[in-house]
Amino acid sequence: MTAGLPFIRAENLSYAYPAAGGRPVLERIDLDLGAEPYLLVGGASGCGKSTLCRTFNGLIPHFYGGRLSGSVSVGGRGTRDTPVARLIDRVGLVFQNPEAQLFNRTVAREIAFGLESLGLDRREIGRRIVDAAAAVGIETLLERHPHHLSGGEQHLAALAAILALRPRVLVLDEPFANLDPATVLGLRRVLAGIGEHGRSLVVCEHRLNLTAPDAGRMVVMVGGRIVADGPPDRVLENLPSPWGLEAPLAAAVSRRLGLAPLHLDLDQIPLGPGAREMLADLTVPPRKSAACGEMVLEVEGLAGRAGDHQVLRDVSFNLHRGEVTALVGANGAGKTTLVRHLNGLARPLRGRVAVAGKETRRWRASALARHVGVAFQNPNSQFFKLTVAEEIRVGPLALGCLDENWLARLAAWLHLTDLMDRAPFRLSGGEKKRVAFAAALAHHPGILVLDEPTAGQDAFFRRALADLLVRLAAEGGAVLMVTHDLAFAERCASRWLVLCDGVIAADGPPETVMADPALMRRSHLVPTERFRLAARLEEIGAAGSGGMPCGRRGRV
Amino acid sequence: MLDPRARLALACGWGGTVAAAGRPWTVVGAYLVLCLAVAGWRRCAAYGRWLRLVVPMALFFGALTVWAAGMEAGGVAALKLLALTTTFFLFFETTAPEDLGSSLVRTGMPFAAAFVFTAALQFVPVIGRKARAVIDAQRSRGIRLEPGWAALRHWPAFLAPLLIQAFTLADELAEAMEARGFSRPGRSFHRDFRMGPADWTAVAGAAGLLAAGIGWL
Repeated sequence: MTAGLPFIRAENLSYAYPAAGGRPVLERIDLDLGAEPYLLVGGASGCGKSTLCRTFNGLIPHFYGGRLSGSVSVGGRGTRDTPVARLIDRVGLVFQNPEAQLFNRTVAREIAFGLESLGLDRREIGRRIVDAAAAVGIETLLERHPHHLSGGEQHLAALAAILALRPRVLVLDEPFANLDPATVLGLRRVLAGIGEHGRSLVVCEHRLNLTAPDAGRMVVMVGGRIVADGPPDRVLENLPSPWGLEAPLAAAVSRRLGLAPLHLDLDQIPLGPGAREMLADLTVPPRKSAACGEMVLEVEGLAGRAGDHQVLRDVSFNLHRGEVTALVGANGAGKTTLVRHLNGLARPLRGRVAVAGKETRRWRASALARHVGVAFQNPNSQFFKLTVAEEIRVGPLALGCLDENWLARLAAWLHLTDLMDRAPFRLSGGEKKRVAFAAALAHHPGILVLDEPTAGQDAFFRRALADLLVRLAAEGGAVLMVTHDLAFAERCASRWLVLCDGVIAADGPPETVMADPALMRRSHLVPTERFRLAARLEEIGAAGSGGMPCGRRGRV
Repeated sequence: MLDPRARLALACGWGGTVAAAGRPWTVVGAYLVLCLAVAGWRRCAAYGRWLRLVVPMALFFGALTVWAAGMEAGGVAALKLLALTTTFFLFFETTAPEDLGSSLVRTGMPFAAAFVFTAALQFVPVIGRKARAVIDAQRSRGIRLEPGWAALRHWPAFLAPLLIQAFTLADELAEAMEARGFSRPGRSFHRDFRMGPADWTAVAGAAGLLAAGIGWL
């Protein structure tokens, strides 16, 4: 196969899962890919991106069954007639959930598994293990157990296991969903390197600011159909709201400056002296309620461990009513461990955690739930009722505080009213998360803790969540949000807590935290696009005079 | 290092000897040797955690035997259970399941069967983590799943999410394995296992041990 020609071809492709009652998830898709180094597939949750990826290596229809019409061919071979195992050295697929694709005892064995399937000799397997690990920078992890790695490291191990097979096309489903910002930057560099070596990348991702600058082509899917296909700068010129995508800030900046085509890498946009006035409103920090009511949670000198490792050394902070706070930090910094201490699931080694003035070590976690509602990252860990309505009532019934009016308001806020009779397990990922938030809030706790609420979620979900947080803060709730999504944290949280090396390394407004480059580096954080733009404009202002910005004037 | 199959034979031989031994001091001696081996392989911390699970079981089993057959028989039964489980604790601590699987495939076992065996061993801790996540999630919304009788009332809140997640995980794993060529014919192995003289000696030793256990100890 020569570079420049399509390697995968989908023709008039339609597909329905067996359990979907014949409802098509993909409809009349025509797509050629493999000619360009980097294809970005965008679209709201449930639009069919992941399903499309599974047709490229034959998992659909071989593994899933269902009804497929039209055809997909890989290097000229139809996937319908070619077993999945025969395509592994042509199309490599890295799934969204790394834990569910790592099934060996060491990372080296994980990488070796696919190579053994190819029937390679031992020396070649050894060589490829070393090469793949070096390509993604995990040479030191080869003898570690995959399930003992951080989420970011697991992603890299899964990527290395596929990369070692040297597939012509590498498909990644939401590769950045659970990674801290610095790891995302590292992975972006790795992916750019792969694209330069004659292979093609297909990346499905919601966060376009992380992918559009690197992609040469972008496809947008809505309701199982392709509605846009072209260079990202052209596709992002017009991004209708129903597509559920959020254009990178760079696109808005380019438009203001009259740059054509759009520049999608914010740091590469040339800014002249007059840009400061033209872009002023884009750099204003989002307005958040900074109302600070009574203290509802107090953490003092907390030390705690996750498994055998002490990850919290000396953590101290307070939460107040009416305040949305973001807890940020690197993968593996101990954020989830800290959350487990806040609602009594874990007992402090030292120090104290007090809720409503009472120490958590004196309470059962199930009793403390009355005051602290927690929605963990994986909502599937809690669903056991047949309908959403029953699922949401479980907590209030157990705690003896059922309030139907409050539940009705919650359902309306979280757009769950139409889903109340549905089975929670049958919902989409975003819908499940909303049900989990409702369940955490159903007994009206004074403190709400959300663990990675926006991971893998689209713009619709993020907007709904932002609205919910504003409402909760206005009603006097205290919200703590654990997140790697700094753009969302900047939009919604008036205060950031940075967890680094087992202590709260910074506690303050986002602008103050992001202004400390050493702290940001140490904590694996990267300033938001808005902050970086403001900093560049400030430099221009400090440098002196006004005048024309680079690029054409017009459309200002 | 011995071939995994030779190690398996040794573990079976030692375990069989312990199970068959009739004299209390033989069982005590066998257990002490195992404790020395645990220390020699520097597995004391992991063994401590293992004992927390096994000792209550051994005590329960011993108490039942005391009730049925007297004090000495009860003590020997508890110690036998402890020694038997310690034998296989040591085996699995010092043998990677994949190595065992690969070596069994070399003996003629189909790869799919060997893989199911090794995967089952590896996913016990994964399911354990899922179970803890379910308990945490339910306690976080007020359901009493703390250890105790009250937890029994809420078993559906624990079992339903755990079972559904276990099935989902199995599906996801099968998909990930197939995406890396699980069913592709012509598989090779990164590590090749051949039984050498030392391995055959170990197998013979294991057989001798077992015979001694049955006949004289």
